[in-house]
Amino acid sequence: MKVELIYAPGCAECVTARAGLRAAAEAAIGGVEWIEINVLDALDYAIELGVLTLPALAIDGSLVFAALPTPAQLRDELLRRAGHD
Amino acid sequence: MLTIGKLAAAGEISPDALRYYESEGLLVPTTRTASGYRLYGEDALRRVRFIQHAQACGFTLAEIRELLQLRQTDSACCNDVRQRAIEKRLQLAAKIRSMQSMSAALDRLIAECADGSQSVEDCPIMAALEQIDGGTEPVR
Repeated sequence: MKVELIYAPGCAECVTARAGLRAAAEAAIGGVEWIEINVLDALDYAIELGVLTLPALAIDGSLVFAALPTPAQLRDELLRRAGHD
Repeated sequence: MLTIGKLAAAGEISPDALRYYESEGLLVPTTRTASGYRLYGEDALRRVRFIQHAQACGFTLAEIRELLQLRQTDSACCNDVRQRAIEKRLQLAAKIRSMQSMSAALDRLIAECADGSQSVEDCPIMAALEQIDGGTEPVR
């Protein structure tokens, strides 16, 4: 499963949160592909995803969290999706 | 000091708009005369210009208030301003997409109405707009 964190450069919230989110994602399910995307390098992709506020989090190419989730929320979402796969 | 009339003239804006900015917390008069007339300091025109430029970039008055508040926030830096600009850019792009989609829907409806002499009752555009599923595909 691919998890993409879309962030604006200099985002203090992202720096604080990303380690915990990544750890939660990798602990929840195996084979997580964790990608961090500077929105300025991928503006068109962010538009395509429907990102309106930053930071945001997409899973498998879909915008799932318009604001950063807690690690527990991310874990639950990944487990839910893994169960449905 | 500038009266509201002079500031309005300098900023090419109406006095009502300046009063509205005040009610939105964007521009507060420096003082008032004994009879209650608003008086603005020299920086007020700069503030008006700032608001006008930000509005031209699509920022709402509430968002402009946030931008102005960043100036008073010690921990804020240019990244905070840039993030808001990026978000506004994303929101504008989404709005453009939505409007393009609306425009395409109208193109389809216009194309469907080939016989302009039909009664309004039989007009396919009216029929399509009446569809309860919210779709824009014309009724055939």
